[in-house]
Amino acid sequence: MGTFVQQVFNGLTVGGIYALIALGYTMVYGVMRLINFAHGDLCILGAFIGLTLLSGAAGSGHPGVALLLLAFVLAIAVVAAAGVLLEFVAYRPLRRADRLAAVVSALGASVLIENGIMIVWGPNVHVFPSGLLPETVWHVAGAAITFVQVLIILASVVLMAALYVFVHHTKFGTAIRAAAIDQDTARLMGINVNRVIVTVFVVGPALGAIGGLFVGVYYREAYFTMGWVYGLYAFIAAILGGIGNIPGAMLGGVLLGLFNAFAAGYISSSWQDAITFALLIGILLVRPTGLLGERVAEKV
Amino acid sequence: MSRKFLLGAAAAAAFVATGGVAMAAPPILIGVQAPITGTYADEGQGIQKAVQLLADEQNAKGGLLGRKIEVKACDDEGTASQAAICARQLVDAHVVAVIGSYTSGAALAAEPIYARANVLQSSDGTSNQLLERGYQTWFGNAPPNSAEAVFTANYLVNVRHFKRIAVLTDHSSFATGLADEVEKDVKAVHGNVVDKAFINAGSQNFTPVLTQIKSLNPDVLYFSGYYSDGGLIRAQMQQLGMKAVFVGGDANQNVSFGKIAGSAAAGSVILNVPAPQDLPYPAAKQFVAAYKAKYGALPPSVYTLTNADGMRAIMQAIAETKSTDPKKLEGYLHHLKSFQGLTGTFAWNARGERTGSPFVAFEVDAQGNYSILYPKPAH
Amino acid sequence: MTVPPARGILAYRNEAIGALLWALGLALPAVLDSSWVAVAAIFAIYAITALSEDVILGRGGMFDMGHAVYFGIGAYVTAILNTEFGWPIFATLPFAILAAAAVGALLAAPLIRLRGDYLLVATIGFNAIFVLAMQNNLAGITGGSDGLTGLDVPVLFGLPLESQSAMFWLDWVALGIVMVLMRNLDRCEFGRTLRYLKQDELAATTLGVDARAAKTLAFAVGAGLAGLAGTLFAVQLSTVSPTSFVFTESVTLFAIVIVGGKGSVPGVLLGTALMFVVPQFFRQFATYRYFAFGFAMIAVMVLRPQGLWPRRIQNE
Repeated sequence: MGTFVQQVFNGLTVGGIYALIALGYTMVYGVMRLINFAHGDLCILGAFIGLTLLSGAAGSGHPGVALLLLAFVLAIAVVAAAGVLLEFVAYRPLRRADRLAAVVSALGASVLIENGIMIVWGPNVHVFPSGLLPETVWHVAGAAITFVQVLIILASVVLMAALYVFVHHTKFGTAIRAAAIDQDTARLMGINVNRVIVTVFVVGPALGAIGGLFVGVYYREAYFTMGWVYGLYAFIAAILGGIGNIPGAMLGGVLLGLFNAFAAGYISSSWQDAITFALLIGILLVRPTGLLGERVAEKV
Repeated sequence: MSRKFLLGAAAAAAFVATGGVAMAAPPILIGVQAPITGTYADEGQGIQKAVQLLADEQNAKGGLLGRKIEVKACDDEGTASQAAICARQLVDAHVVAVIGSYTSGAALAAEPIYARANVLQSSDGTSNQLLERGYQTWFGNAPPNSAEAVFTANYLVNVRHFKRIAVLTDHSSFATGLADEVEKDVKAVHGNVVDKAFINAGSQNFTPVLTQIKSLNPDVLYFSGYYSDGGLIRAQMQQLGMKAVFVGGDANQNVSFGKIAGSAAAGSVILNVPAPQDLPYPAAKQFVAAYKAKYGALPPSVYTLTNADGMRAIMQAIAETKSTDPKKLEGYLHHLKSFQGLTGTFAWNARGERTGSPFVAFEVDAQGNYSILYPKPAH
Repeated sequence: MTVPPARGILAYRNEAIGALLWALGLALPAVLDSSWVAVAAIFAIYAITALSEDVILGRGGMFDMGHAVYFGIGAYVTAILNTEFGWPIFATLPFAILAAAAVGALLAAPLIRLRGDYLLVATIGFNAIFVLAMQNNLAGITGGSDGLTGLDVPVLFGLPLESQSAMFWLDWVALGIVMVLMRNLDRCEFGRTLRYLKQDELAATTLGVDARAAKTLAFAVGAGLAGLAGTLFAVQLSTVSPTSFVFTESVTLFAIVIVGGKGSVPGVLLGTALMFVVPQFFRQFATYRYFAFGFAMIAVMVLRPQGLWPRRIQNE
């Protein structure tokens, strides 16, 4: 029993991280139909920005929580700016081109950001200062769960809900949804599609920066190649839930985390990823557009 | 013709002969094949920097055999295909010896090319396949898995008397090789292996597999992979309330291990050859200090130092044989009784395997410092 | 559409230039040192793999981001049959091709109904499963994480192809054959079927085209050609290990086709040159090399969204 509950906690925590990153992924995809392969690297850029501030200020006597909030704000600001710049330079000129041209441009951006991080911060493993957050551990039904884990799960739920409300219950959200369905028609209806896209590239990377910094604060390490793995898992989570679908990204992330936990815990740790991917492929065969269905119009 | 003139002419000829040759003497080329970009960039750049540092130091002392040492680096990206290209490039550049690569896979792809061209190769690769072909040009500079596994099994079973041993590894060639040998040797001394499990290196989330291991109630967890994962595993063991002792293989020895593990680091044990600062002679400390002074950071891992040992051994061989003839260098290194390395005193057997490295068990304290736990240091 | 006669002449002119360049390429070992001959040989191998990816991605319009699987199967079949069972290298070749083609068809058959990005994720999944299976020493014959080493030198008509130049010629001839095959693919019924399906699947199926069969066949052909390249790769390196077939290799192949130009043989060759050969010139800038590489990928796509050498419109 304790073991089972523990695996659920394990899966929920990492699932929450995947979900946070997947939200940004799915947001960009929904409007642009673009697999933004640079998203994971943007997230890790957020972790490095936060790391620089936190380790620079370590031991300066500032209260931990205020410093941490500042790190989040700074990471969000820098990464959102990088996202907008990326959209302007690498994606905007390709809006009318073959979709795959933009996908390859995104792959190029991923290589660029990853190696840029290596050049600026070096190729070594960077360690976050300890004691940023309380190290409280709760014991529930024979399983342990820490303060940071609870924080990650809560943050992903709250941000998912906020994003959902923003997209589905605000005027600007309606504009986003209209642009996602048909950009030309949206433009005819007087919607400023460029503004919508820029907003998407602010919100998506900003959510990614939060995810990336949570990765750093939870695991307390960061290195330049990390973004690729998280980006890939987040993309898979978004696809699993039905890409373009905000609750879907959340569901996909959490399920992916749980799959991983149960595969390693109950079947075989040496086949962990293979089992996860086999399950994913199985689900796609039964539900070809993800669990909750995709929320993007088919472009014919 | 006067005697004076003859003397003068002879002096001039001698001057031209010595000075002229010294001026025109081509540099001794040493290759570095390492993953300078990609996943292992940290380690690869460390190897490149260490070899460059040693070459610079030697050149400041006048070089070798009156010739300067020049380092040619090639980025193999840690992949087999790029490694094979690098090997050919370095051979075409007429290097005498190559230091690297970091990964067994890249060393393996390059090995036959160096062997055919008679270029010495000194790498930290420990895969058994590197030895199977019996190439005379191969000089492994890291202690082989087999020696480490024997020490590990003895330490776990006979010294610490652990009753329930869990073995954890990643999927890399090095770590699986070491874990397989440890499992075999633990069983050979009648130890009880309760589980052998895998992590995905770099995935950071190790709680699922640790939870599963915890349910088997081991008294020790042996991890054969790398420090960046090892530190996290130690931290996540504490988070899950696991009481088992953490024992890590040599790749866990890195300053970052303690930092990543944080408060959980205390009490972890790492098995390795003695660290430079614990060695009785000053060369190791001096090297680490020079590295830090030049590059502003400590070497990324112990493999930077083992590869530096490869470079030092080859420089010593060139100096002692007064030659860059590969046959002479190979003969010298194969017959060297004891080489004073930065990572311990060792030699090479006929297969080019590093022998005679004493292993020790270190304990990590809460500040991330190491102290020798076994064998007890003689005071 | 009526075909203007000039088009035929133009097409043949390009083919003549291609054939001439290929023939000139045979002389490369005479002018390059052995490391660059090795680069040329691996270029030929990656070019075949990229052309085979193009059959699925460029011509079939199916997002295959796990193509390294088929490349890997070819390499592993050759390595296993040679090192474990002692078969001569050339005897393993047909089995490498057939095994890769069979796996391609088997994996593709159920997945073909997945559209676009969902297929992409499924193929990524297969790639991950394949690499893990090789690392876990599937059936005890894949050599685990170390892989398999010590492949024999291929012997052709009693002549061992031992030198790098000989291996290069082998790869170059194979590339020539694949280029001719690709040209024929453009003109045969199967090639036209694929083009038709890509343009308008609904219309094609109502006219009686069996979309499922055609797409499965495209996967089989592409996978089989990748299997051929895999054999050549195993020969070139004389060692086969899981890290050569990881997901990032598939991504590179995917990018080569898009950077070069979908469905265009010269485009794919140019893409391979840009993505594989050009970085070789910049080794001395090791740490900055891939930073510039990423930038170049963005620049190429922004400046030439159809690829460096897009397929001629008349062909569509």
